[in-house]
Amino acid sequence: MSDAPLLEFETPERVTVTLELAGVGARAYAWLLDAFCIFLAWVTALLLYSISGDLVHEVQALSVAGQILAALSVLMAGWGWDVAWEALGGGRTPGKRLAGIRVVRADGGPVGLTEALVRNALRAVELPLAYAPAILAVALSARRQRLGDVVAGTLVVRQARFDLSRYELPATSAARFPHLRGGGAAALSAEGFERLTDFLRRRPALEPAARARVAARLAAVLAARAQVALPSAAEAEEFLEALVAAHAEGR
Amino acid sequence: MSSPGPGRSAAAFVRARRTAWERLGALVARAGGSRLPLEEVEELDRLYRRAAADLAHARRRFAGSDAEGYLAELVAAAYRALYRPRPRRAALADLLRATIPATCRRHLGALGLALALLATGAAGGALAVALDPGAAELLVPQSVREAVAAHRMWTGHLLSASPGVSGAALLHNNVTVATLSFGLGLTAGLGTALLLVLNGALLGAVLAHAAAHGMGGQVLAFLAGHGPLELSALLLAAQAGFVLATALVDPGEWPRRAALQLAGREAAVLLLVVVPALVLAALLEAGVSPTGAFSGLERGALGLGLATALWAWLLLPRGYRR
Repeated sequence: MSDAPLLEFETPERVTVTLELAGVGARAYAWLLDAFCIFLAWVTALLLYSISGDLVHEVQALSVAGQILAALSVLMAGWGWDVAWEALGGGRTPGKRLAGIRVVRADGGPVGLTEALVRNALRAVELPLAYAPAILAVALSARRQRLGDVVAGTLVVRQARFDLSRYELPATSAARFPHLRGGGAAALSAEGFERLTDFLRRRPALEPAARARVAARLAAVLAARAQVALPSAAEAEEFLEALVAAHAEGR
Repeated sequence: MSSPGPGRSAAAFVRARRTAWERLGALVARAGGSRLPLEEVEELDRLYRRAAADLAHARRRFAGSDAEGYLAELVAAAYRALYRPRPRRAALADLLRATIPATCRRHLGALGLALALLATGAAGGALAVALDPGAAELLVPQSVREAVAAHRMWTGHLLSASPGVSGAALLHNNVTVATLSFGLGLTAGLGTALLLVLNGALLGAVLAHAAAHGMGGQVLAFLAGHGPLELSALLLAAQAGFVLATALVDPGEWPRRAALQLAGREAAVLLLVVVPALVLAALLEAGVSPTGAFSGLERGALGLGLATALWAWLLLPRGYRR
């Protein structure tokens, strides 16, 4: 759990539902990513088009109204991008997906077309002022809402990822360390189990020296707590796997 | 209801319950798309209550674990599936038919104030130029004065009377003026009032100056197409600004912060009208007003017609059927 601002409400069953609100940083990051995507799309379209035509002269040849319409359609492509992704993609534009945030209704449900339309239409008010009102509003309001969010009744929340596979029985059993079977499993607290499975899952990405060091330290602490002999450095990871297995096998 | 598994470890707890959770997740996903048959709704309800109990157990025993996070999300999704309101199909229609006009009419005082200030500015500007032609040096932009002196028409525009360059620039300029008159509501309305008076004075002065040089009809004919809509949008933006100002100055029984939030919502509804109106006005200004294809009368009919339709939609009372 981070210290991000939370929005909590209680269901009639007295279950508390918690939404973790996204801050300025994540939202600005998502906006930049989206802007980059749209930019890339336009550059690609321009490149493809320039193979056959001369865009600059053709735009200059347009009437003033035509130029306005062209400028508007460029703007609308940006809005349309947001509206379409938010309404159809569960509140997530590609940028928001990468930033790990999503737009939800105030009750945490997915946004519909109307909400996406309204919250993005109000960008028109904030964009001429370089988004300053939006940045201030997100930074200062308790619910981290822009003008568009207030009007549409939406929130931007962090999307946490939960992985139940860590609770599955590991392939390696505790057989190699039979003495862990009994009290050994109790050495691991519920939180320790989470952290240990975090380590085991992330270890392929770790630098070998750091990986061995962390494994050895974890093994030392946990072996002492389980009151078993300290495994050798080479056995440290196997010992940790066995500990997880013993804990997971426990009723 | 059976007690949640007394398992010693989160792993044992998850293994014992996971099938039921995944079944609940599948039901929730299907409930979002279509109607469930009765027995499945009952199953959803049963599984939801059980998952809620599991969540309470996980909160107590495995706080901060992935199991708890997963359950919290699952229970929240199931809660929304069970308790969701009937879908509001006509949200957009409601907005157009009722919400926007009602919001505009709720703040007639603010609208009247905006209109009065703009009219006062215009009258003042016109009077100043009429009484002392030298005032034009101060109030009328130089480019316009030169154009009027040479008896040629300039394709400037209303709110700033700057020579028009491109349509996008016109739109940007108008949006800036409108946004400012809205945002300056946060200066207790003083900024909005100043902006209205200034723009009114500019308009009045330009018209009076042109009329004094025998070009009044020409200028009016030029402005007729887009002017009414542009002024309407400015008035609505200023109304929104004054709504904010009212909340700031006189929040009534609400705390200022809450009053400002409520007013922000009302003002935003008004802005929903302002932006499209400005876009339309910019299109007219760039596409209709400068061309010789339409006579002044036709342009006037178009501009006044659009503005009249806008205000009729906003202000005329009508029955509201649910």
